[in-house]
Formats: sequence, structure tokens, C-alpha cells
Amino acid sequence: MSRATIRTLAAFATLAVVVAALPAFVNDFRAQQFAYVGVYLVALTGLNILTGYTGQISLGHGAFMAIGGYTTSILMIDHGVKDVATIPFALVVAGVAGVLFGLPAARLSGLYLALATFGIALATPALIKKFEGFTGGGAGVNLFGTPELTASLTPVRFLGLELNFNNWLYYLCWTVALVGYVVAWLILRGRTGRAFRAVRDSETAAVSSGISLTRTKVLAFGISAAYAGAAGSLFAITTTFVNPDTFPVTLSIFLLVGVVVSGLGSLKGLVAGAIFIQFMPLWSQHVSKSPGAPAVVYGTVLILLILVLPGGASGLIARLQHLTRR
Amino acid sequence: MNRKLMMTCVALVVALALGVTAAIAGTVRGGSDPGITDNSILLGGTAPLTGPASQYASVARGAEAYFKYLNATKGGINGRKITYKYADDAYNPAQSVPVTRQLVEQDKVFAIFNSLGTAHNVAVRPYLNAMKVPQLFVASGATTWGRDYAQYPYTIGFQPSYQAEGWVYGKYLSRTAPGAKVAVLFQNDDYGKDLLGGLKRGLQRSKVKVIAAQPYEVTSPDVASQIAKLKASGADTLAIFATPTFAIQAFQFANKLGWKPKHVINNAVASASTSMQIASSAGQNKLVNGTISIQFLKDPTDPKWKNDPAMKLYRTIMKKFAPSANVADPLHVYGMAAAWTASDALKKAGKDLTRESLRKTLDTFTATGNPFMLPGIAVKTAGKDHYPVEQMLLQKWQNNSWNSFGGLWGYRAS
Amino acid sequence: MAAFFQQVVSGLASGGIYGALALAIVLIHRATGVINFAQGEMAMFSTYIAWTLTTNHGFSYWPAFAVTLLVSFLGGVGIHRAVIRPVERGPQIRVVIITIGLLLLLNGLAFWIWSGEVRAVPSPFPAGTIDIGGVAISWSDIGTIAVCLTSVLVLSAFFRFTKVGLAMRAAAVNPSEARLVGVRVSSMLGLGWGLAAMLGAIAGMLTAPNVFLDPNMMQAVLIYAFAAALLGGIDSPIGAVVGGLILGVGLNLLGTYVDFVGSDLKLPAALLVILGVLLLRPAGLFGKTVVKKV
Repeated sequence: MSRATIRTLAAFATLAVVVAALPAFVNDFRAQQFAYVGVYLVALTGLNILTGYTGQISLGHGAFMAIGGYTTSILMIDHGVKDVATIPFALVVAGVAGVLFGLPAARLSGLYLALATFGIALATPALIKKFEGFTGGGAGVNLFGTPELTASLTPVRFLGLELNFNNWLYYLCWTVALVGYVVAWLILRGRTGRAFRAVRDSETAAVSSGISLTRTKVLAFGISAAYAGAAGSLFAITTTFVNPDTFPVTLSIFLLVGVVVSGLGSLKGLVAGAIFIQFMPLWSQHVSKSPGAPAVVYGTVLILLILVLPGGASGLIARLQHLTRR
Repeated sequence: MNRKLMMTCVALVVALALGVTAAIAGTVRGGSDPGITDNSILLGGTAPLTGPASQYASVARGAEAYFKYLNATKGGINGRKITYKYADDAYNPAQSVPVTRQLVEQDKVFAIFNSLGTAHNVAVRPYLNAMKVPQLFVASGATTWGRDYAQYPYTIGFQPSYQAEGWVYGKYLSRTAPGAKVAVLFQNDDYGKDLLGGLKRGLQRSKVKVIAAQPYEVTSPDVASQIAKLKASGADTLAIFATPTFAIQAFQFANKLGWKPKHVINNAVASASTSMQIASSAGQNKLVNGTISIQFLKDPTDPKWKNDPAMKLYRTIMKKFAPSANVADPLHVYGMAAAWTASDALKKAGKDLTRESLRKTLDTFTATGNPFMLPGIAVKTAGKDHYPVEQMLLQKWQNNSWNSFGGLWGYRAS
Repeated sequence: MAAFFQQVVSGLASGGIYGALALAIVLIHRATGVINFAQGEMAMFSTYIAWTLTTNHGFSYWPAFAVTLLVSFLGGVGIHRAVIRPVERGPQIRVVIITIGLLLLLNGLAFWIWSGEVRAVPSPFPAGTIDIGGVAISWSDIGTIAVCLTSVLVLSAFFRFTKVGLAMRAAAVNPSEARLVGVRVSSMLGLGWGLAAMLGAIAGMLTAPNVFLDPNMMQAVLIYAFAAALLGGIDSPIGAVVGGLILGVGLNLLGTYVDFVGSDLKLPAALLVILGVLLLRPAGLFGKTVVKKV
């Protein structure tokens, strides 16, 4: 094992320990907010595979989250599947949707792809509403209190331990997030990851070294959509409610913002991006509640971050590592 | 490869186990209800401070101003000062859920009050009822608040339901305009559909027929195409069930097409005087004159209430406790009316206020004389009827202001 | 039949507005190679400036119009200078995120300054309508389309016949060579942002009298403007306007005569059409297909 690998594993183990121990140090409700950080981490990991490593901008990952969220909700309500058991289904359904969308979209590049995916994000709420017999329409689907939902107000028994509602959600989301993180790391360090990066760096060079552009891009789309599907599933379980408005266009936009804030093409800063998505709106509201002010704060901070930290959180971490190692 | 993967997994499992053990802490709660002390009551709510519906944040601001006034001049309710803590949900139900849980679990509010939006309140209703936290005076006219009372006894609505409102329009038309052909523009969601459903219900067994109905999406830029279609239907009556911007547009586009339906109906949400003035100013819109709507609150721009003590009080309160807000915005009056009723209910629930005593108080409740509502309108629940406000007045837009006419209309759900 | 033509007319009027904003998007894309997500909010902000000049500062329409264009131009140049130029040479996605930040910032700022209340904005065109065989055509619709077409012509002439216009094109197409022949590339790109902001202001002032002004006024329009720009070809000013008109008319007819689409699936239908166009003709209907150098 190389030193770099050991260092990565050590860093990951530290992260895992911090994640595992966190609920002991924060109050109940914070645990739930951090559960959402876990949800966003899953989505960002997937989106970074597509946008950061393969160079394909997507402004439509909220739509794949919606597919995951609705898969979970429909399976729970109409088919009596336990919530946790729906996560793999959500992952597969969204992954297949990603592949199907990726097949034509792989021909688009750069900003055309960005706009096409943006279109998907825009169309999704309208489509969910249109097929209301299947999706419950605008009224949405309420999961709270259903027997399929593991967590409600009574504690959850798990491996002989008792976990309250918020902590259960926290550990569920973060377990998926950390497993997803490891899987992404494994994918990206292998041959597939090299193909992704080759496509990002130069399509021409990638083709001349025998990489199929379409296959690689479609694969990246599929994988990242599967991640988004799992995230959407966790989102539905944590929120206990889905309707067309729970997956708005802004969700897709904020996911892309999160990826850029965490740093493209690196897994190091993803947690920071997820924290940004979850806490930045709350924090900007904290600064001022007068009409419009939160958006002003959010927009200003975002612009400054991009200007000051062009490499995002990953870039900052890399710079700090460089400093400490000298 | 495999070894690394295994190591990682082991690290993960160990870490999780450690954390889980550390995290188990009892959450035993005892004694009196949260959010209440001898001298304070904490209420919480969600409001769209950002996002597409942020103009509706005025409802929460109006309510907050009233509570501040109450604390400053009357020392609160039964010696308890009221704090109203409202947080942003960006008009996204997925935000309303965690924000509401935060209010309940972290801020430990006594009750949720006046949260805005239908789906937003539906999303948190099972949770609040399971926690036995009162969900007071939901700011939405969906029928579900009253209809599903038996299942969710801690939830109570406020304003006349959209269905009731539509029904009044239907009854009015069937009485005054027999043979009229009605065209409807409605927002394609529960809000627009409830109004349309109510209208059809009011038209049952009458000679008036809805001959065309066109939905629009909130995400569309304008309603020009819909209005052209409605005009082509040959209708002589136009009903607009929309939010303010789209209602104003509807007037504008109908005028542009030279369409002059005999009767125009504009639902209450979109019929604030400011909207009507904008609708009539653009292109000297004659169509606006004679428009019918319902009202249950006093309109702050209506000259009729210029010397009304309650509206004078309203302006004083706004000046002192919400100085930067727009006094002409009737949504503030809505918020104050709801806050007045909430204070009244809290007072009647007595000195030994608990969540349970508040629920019981609202179970059979009558409050007349809400100064921000039109005279004679009562807030009332009893038995199976859990629709607090079911009375309203019809009003006609004439000479640049609303003029109410006729007596109170009452609607009985079910 | 009158109903059919009424839908066509109403579609042309909406399409003119999409086209006007699409024009601004195309201009920025031509000048700096990015998509400006804040274009709609910039237009909205400009419209508020015009509104406040006429309503609160006693300006009559045309002076207010001129001042607004000037302020918008300076604002566009300023935005480019302050936040776009530093990231211009990096990956496109960073510029995209900056424009998203601008979108939030400007929308919030408008709420903060002018509140969310709906405002009536005066129209420069006479109020009435003309009636042709039962089809009502309002002067403001005619005016909207006329302004839109004039803008395209002026813009095309500017790019083709003026020195500055040629320099701008050179700066966008090949910055390093343009620099060699003495073009001040960065100023040219800034100029592009300024002009786009001006065009956006025109689009906003055309839109506002019809749909009424509030801080979210341009959000829906922006989406259709994107679609129009893609349809016509994101580098073609004429394409943007024609794309807008086709989109406006097409959507109205689709919504009216295809029952399943109705008005609730208009947007997805539009996006599907555009996706199809992109796949068959990635450069759009009017764009030139650029052959990638290998």
C-alpha cells in the first residue's frame, strides 16, 4: 500500500469517527440537520463523478433525486415496502433513468448539456403533477406515521440499541453517504476513473487512446444519477413527505453550487459542499430576515467564495496539506 | 484492493458502533408543556421569506406586529408575553418539515401558528398531531383542515375555504345572472381547483353553466393564450381564480382582446385593492369596474375604514412595530386578524394553559368582534364543524374601491 | 379560424419578449462564451430602475428609457469587471456559478429595495387594439415585435459594419490573436456585457407592461428565452428572435390543439422539442456548425 493510500484511509477513518461520534455532542435537532448534510453528500458525490471527474455539467440532478424520492414513496405507500429496503430500488430506477437520459445527452457538450439538464429539472415537477394517479399529484405523499417508516416518534431498535428518531435518520443517511463515498473512491481510482478523467481533459485524446466517449459519458451519467436516486430516497425518508414542490429547480441549482463549492474533481471537500447546501440558507436568514436580504447574503457569499477559493474546499484542503508537508 | 476495502469497512463499522453508543441519550420530557412559562408563550411558524411566494411573508409580519403590540400595551395574554418565531421555508414543503421540527424540538415552541401554504402544512400535520402540538390557524383555504379534523384534532384552519368562496360565487351568479355562460381561469393546483369545484357546486341545479375552464401553471410567464381561448368559448362571464400577478394579467389580456364579459369574478386572494388599482390603471381597464369578489377582512386601503378605530389601530401598530412594511398590504391585516383570534383563544384557554387545554378550547369556540374582520363575522367551531370562518360578504369594485353589498353569506361544509 | 389566428398573434407577442431576452443571452454567449443565468434578473432590475424613475422621480417615459439603458450598460460593464473577469479564463462552470450567485443577489436586492408588490409599468405604445377579421391585435404587441426586430437589425449591423463590432467578434472568437492585432480583449468582453445588459433592459421594459413588474417577473421568461436561444442557435442573433417567435406561436398552438399537452405540459413539451433540435442540429436552426479541430 502506498503512503498516499494510507494517508487517504487515515483521513477517511478520521471522518468516519467524527461522523459517528457527532450526535453525542450536538443536540437532537442538529442531528437531523446533519442527516440532511449526509443526504446532500450522497448527491454531491455522484454529481462530482459526472461534473468534476467527467467534465459534464448537469443542472438537472434534482430530477434524479425526485425519481429516487418518488420510487421510495410509491413503494412504501402502494406496495408496503419498508423504507430502508426501498433505497436500492430508488438507486436502480434513478440509475436507469440516468442511462436513458445519458444516451442522447452524451452527444451534447458543455453549455448545451447544462441547458438540456436544466430542462429536465424544469420539466420534472410538471410531469409529476400531470401523472397524479401514480404520484399523488400536487397534494403529495405523506410518509409520516406509516408502518413502512422505520423512524417515527418511538425509538428505533437497532442492533440491540435504542436510537431516537433524529439519531436514527442521522446514522441511516451517513451510513449510506460513507459507503457511497468509499465506492466512489474505488471507482475513481480504477480504470473507469481514468477513463472519466481522460474524457474530461481531452475528448480527442481519450478517443485516440481507445476510450468510447458515449460509453464513458453514459456510464458517468448512470452512476451519478444512481447516487442522486439514493439521495432522493433518503431525502424522502428524512422529510417524510414528497410533492412536486419538494424537488424544485433550485435544488438542482444548489447541488451544482455545492459541487463547485466543494471543489471539482476531488472528493476531499465534498462534506464542506454538503454543509454549504444545508446551512448556508439558514445562516443567511440568520443575518437578516427582512424581505430579500437572505438571498442577497447567499448570493454575495457564493460569488465571493468562487472568487476567493477557485478550487473550492478541496483546493483549500490541498493548499493546507501542501503547507503542512513542507 | 480487497484488503483496503476491508480495512475501510472495519473502520467504518467500529466508528459507527462507537458513535451509536455515545449518542444514546434519554429524551425524557416531563412536567408542563414546552414553550410556556409563567410570563411567556412561544409560538412558531413557517413563512416564505424567500422564493417565489415571498410577498406572502407579510402575513407573518402582520401577526408578529400584533403580538408585539399586545406585549407592549397589555402585557401579553394572562400575564404571558407572546413571542412569535417564524422561519423561512422558501415556500418549499421539503423545507417546512425540518423547519417545523426545529421549532418544535429545538426552539420548543408551545404551538405552531399561522404557517403558510397548503402542501406545507399538510406535510407537517401528521408529525404535529403525533407530537400533540397544536397547529393553529393554518394560512390556507384548503378544505382538508376542517374535513379531516377527526383524524388531526390538533390542526385548525382559519379563513373561509376556497370551496366555500367558489360556492358563494356560484350561488350569486345563479341568483342574479340566470343563463350566464361562465369561463374560468384557474391556477392548476389544489387552490385553483377547490375554487372551481366550489363554483360548480354553487351552480348545481341552476341555469348558469361553466362552459370553459383553462388552467395555468405558476411557472408560466403569462396567461395570454388562456384568455384568448376563454374568449373564443363565447362566455359572457369571466371568473379569475388566480394569484395577484396572474389576475392582473387576466384583466389586461381580456381588455386587449376587446373582450367585455358582463360579470367578472376575482377571487379574494387576488382582489386586494392594490391589485385592483393596478389592474384598472393599466390601459384604463373598464373591465375592472363591477368586478365581484368576497371579503371577510377589512381592506386597509378602503376609504370606508378611514376612521374605523380598528383600522386606525392597525395603522398605529404597523407604524410602531413594523415600520418598514407597506401599510397598504392587506396581508398584514390577515396576519393581525389571525393573531387576534390566537390571542383570544389563548386567553380563553385560561391561566393553566396547556396544549391540551388550547385544543379543547378550540374544539368548541366562538369569537365575535374580531376588529380586523368585517363586522358581524364570527370565528366559530362546534361539534363536527371545524371551519372557523365560514361567513363572508360579497363586494363590488366601483369608483376605485370595494363596496360590499347584501348580507353575510354563510357556507356549510359537508 | 379567428381563434386560431388569435393564438398565433398572442404567441407572436409572447415570442417577441422571449426573443428580446434571448438576444441578450446570445450576445453574452458570443462575447464571452458563457450562459448568463442572471440575464433575466438583470433585465428585471433595469425595469425597476425605469419604474422608479417614472413613478418616483417624475421622469417622462423616453428620458427614463434612455437613462435606464445607460445605467444598465454601465451596470453590465461593472458586473463583468467586478465578478466575471477574474474567472473568465478558468473553467466555464465557475462563470455559471457566479451568474447563479448574481441571480440570487439581484433578485434579493430587488425585493429588499422595492418589495415584492406588483407594479404597473407604463407602455410606450398606444393602448388600443386593431381588429382584423375578428382577430384583436394590440399596438403594444406590434410594438414589441417591432422593437425586437429593430434590435436584431441594429445588432447585426453593429457586428458587421462597425470597427468596435468587428473587434468584439474577434475578441470572442480568438482572444489571443485578437490581442496580437491590438484589440483590447477584456474591454471588448466588458462591452459585450454592457450591451447585453442594455438589451435585457429593453426586454424587461417590453415585458413589464404586459405581465406586470415584480422581482420574479423574468424568471419564467428566462427559461423560454434559453429555449428560444437554443432553438435558433445560441450564436445567432437572428436565430434568437426567430426562435423566440417560433416558440411563442408553437407553444400556444400546442397548448390549444393538443389536448394531452394542454397548458400544464407546455413547458416539458417545449423542452422536448428543443432537446430534439439540439440532437439533430446542435447549432440550432440558424447557427453555424463549428467543426471541432482534432
